[in-house]
Amino acid sequence: MKAYWQLTLAQLRIFARNPQVLFFTLLFPIILMLALGSFLGNSGGTSIYMAVVDHDGSTASKQLLSTLSENDAIQLDKSSDVNEALDELKNNEYQVVMEIPEGYGDQLQSHTDESKAFDLPVYYNETDASASQLGLTVVESAVDQVSKNIENYSPVVAVQPEGVRALDLGYIDFLVPGIVAMMIMNNNMNGVAGQISAWRERGILRRMQGTRLKASTFIAAQITARVILNGLQALLVLMVASLLFQVQVNGSWLALLTFVVLGTLAFMAIGFIIAGLAKNPESAGPIAAFASFPMLFLGGVFFSINTMPEYLQPIVHILPISHLSTALRETMNVGTPFFDLWTHWLTLAAWLVGAFIIASRTFKWE
Amino acid sequence: MANTMIHVEKLVKKYGNMTAVNGVEFNVSAGEVFGLLGPNGAGKTTTIEMLVGLRKPDSGTATLSGFDIRNQIDKVKEVIGIQLQSTSLFELLTVQEIMQMYASFYPSHVSISELIDEMLLTEKKKDRIKGLSGGQKQRLAIALAIIHDPDIIFLDEPTTGLDPQARRTLWDIIEKLKDRGKTIVLSTHYMDEAHVLCDRIGIMDQGNLIALDTPSRLVKELQSDSAIEFTLPAEEDDTFIHQLQRVTQVTRRQEWYVVYTDDLQMTLIDLIQHSQEKNLNLQDLQTRTATLEDVFIHMTGRSLRE
Repeated sequence: MKAYWQLTLAQLRIFARNPQVLFFTLLFPIILMLALGSFLGNSGGTSIYMAVVDHDGSTASKQLLSTLSENDAIQLDKSSDVNEALDELKNNEYQVVMEIPEGYGDQLQSHTDESKAFDLPVYYNETDASASQLGLTVVESAVDQVSKNIENYSPVVAVQPEGVRALDLGYIDFLVPGIVAMMIMNNNMNGVAGQISAWRERGILRRMQGTRLKASTFIAAQITARVILNGLQALLVLMVASLLFQVQVNGSWLALLTFVVLGTLAFMAIGFIIAGLAKNPESAGPIAAFASFPMLFLGGVFFSINTMPEYLQPIVHILPISHLSTALRETMNVGTPFFDLWTHWLTLAAWLVGAFIIASRTFKWE
Repeated sequence: MANTMIHVEKLVKKYGNMTAVNGVEFNVSAGEVFGLLGPNGAGKTTTIEMLVGLRKPDSGTATLSGFDIRNQIDKVKEVIGIQLQSTSLFELLTVQEIMQMYASFYPSHVSISELIDEMLLTEKKKDRIKGLSGGQKQRLAIALAIIHDPDIIFLDEPTTGLDPQARRTLWDIIEKLKDRGKTIVLSTHYMDEAHVLCDRIGIMDQGNLIALDTPSRLVKELQSDSAIEFTLPAEEDDTFIHQLQRVTQVTRRQEWYVVYTDDLQMTLIDLIQHSQEKNLNLQDLQTRTATLEDVFIHMTGRSLRE
């Protein structure tokens, strides 16, 4: 027991005294999040940026403007110059630009059932098809609302929209669980593989083998130190995420922590296998990269798993990283209860057990 | 004879076609310093590694303090302390920390601060291992070997690569351990070291134990207590050298000759006379007493550090 604590302490000291490793394992995810978060994060996935040029300035046009700005999905800017607004549209700063021509108010005043509908010119950028389609739909429904009010129209059949998840999520909310999953994979799989094979090469493990120390004590201490370190790292990344980017954690922190620990253990076991496979530290790196690189792209770290091609889906669904990132995402974004995520923790546990069995058979002190 | 602490029986280790250790047998008594001497690749390290449980022998066995290395390795590890050739440790830990860590691997251990003082590491105890000199690292390695106060200590080439002063310091430490009654197995390829430190020496060559005795008896067995060294131009006829009086052996490397004799005076006079008659140009002529190095050359026809 004393040996276990001493080895855990030793490993934590080694972590703490290696600023380079600390930098890349701790700050890298944060820097990545800051970088990606500030480019993409603030837009908040569903917002439509819209500029309105009001030439009319009547009560009616102001009413239209306030209806539009009441819509949460629309970020409304007022602009005075159509050409300027259109240039900005071309630069993708806006998805939609609407012009309210002069006479809009008067036309509405004198509106009768026979008169034609007033045309509001709405411009969109056809090179950004999906955003502008979404923008047009939102604007259309807002304008539709205005005309219905004027008509005193009461709907006979109405759609009651209820988002299944009823959440307002941005890309950053999607990104952070992915980054945490990536961090867990990198630090453990690549970290263990590199460190253990280096220690073996340098004879550090052999010297310890010459003492009464048991392999199980050594491995247990390794695991403990890394779980502590990863727990702290994950916590730190999540804190930065929630303080700087207001990333939500809707589920329980306990469930989140459980997945962090489970992921750490599973990837560490895989790391021990790689350390066993690698004949020297030089080959441990490439082998770990060979395993981690595809996972980075297929495993739902940066891109949603659903966007992967159909033929890759079976592969995607066995990767441990997919289950870790999805489980973290479900817990943080949606707040899915832990036991509803049983497929994920069961798959991770299966990876852990399977990898651990292989690792303990292939583990060599030298 | 004191109690036998180490009993080695026909140890064999093969790597593929190469036999690294070929049926080595010896006994070491309690309190004895036993030296394994031989060139690199002679099988010294492999022998030690089998004794301390780091390698499994292909056949044969050994008992250490009564425990069999085949099936009581945990017991063996409790009574032995090891310092491996080029020990590497966690470089980022301090001297004190690594000693606490290794101490925790055993049920009991000696006072760490006393051990630090004893190994002359007092000033370095809060320093990281990374910054230690070669001699300090080796002393730390020995400290770790004796941290649990073992009866038997294995030192595999403890002074290789150290400067002369650091070697002397280490010799003092090893002698202190001996004074405390520890049984020590030491491997080295330095003749002088083996001569100074060891009670008995086993000479290994190509996996075989080719001689085993006290250093002085090994030298005496040469039956030639002196050596004459000189250089002679390669084109000269050297057959006369073998016929000099009282010569026991002649070795030659290019132009450099070593002539062993059991009567230095007679041989030397004969050599001088011959060289005068034949008008030979003897250079760098010198005489010395025979050493363990000469024993090795005598037995294998090769130098220890080729």
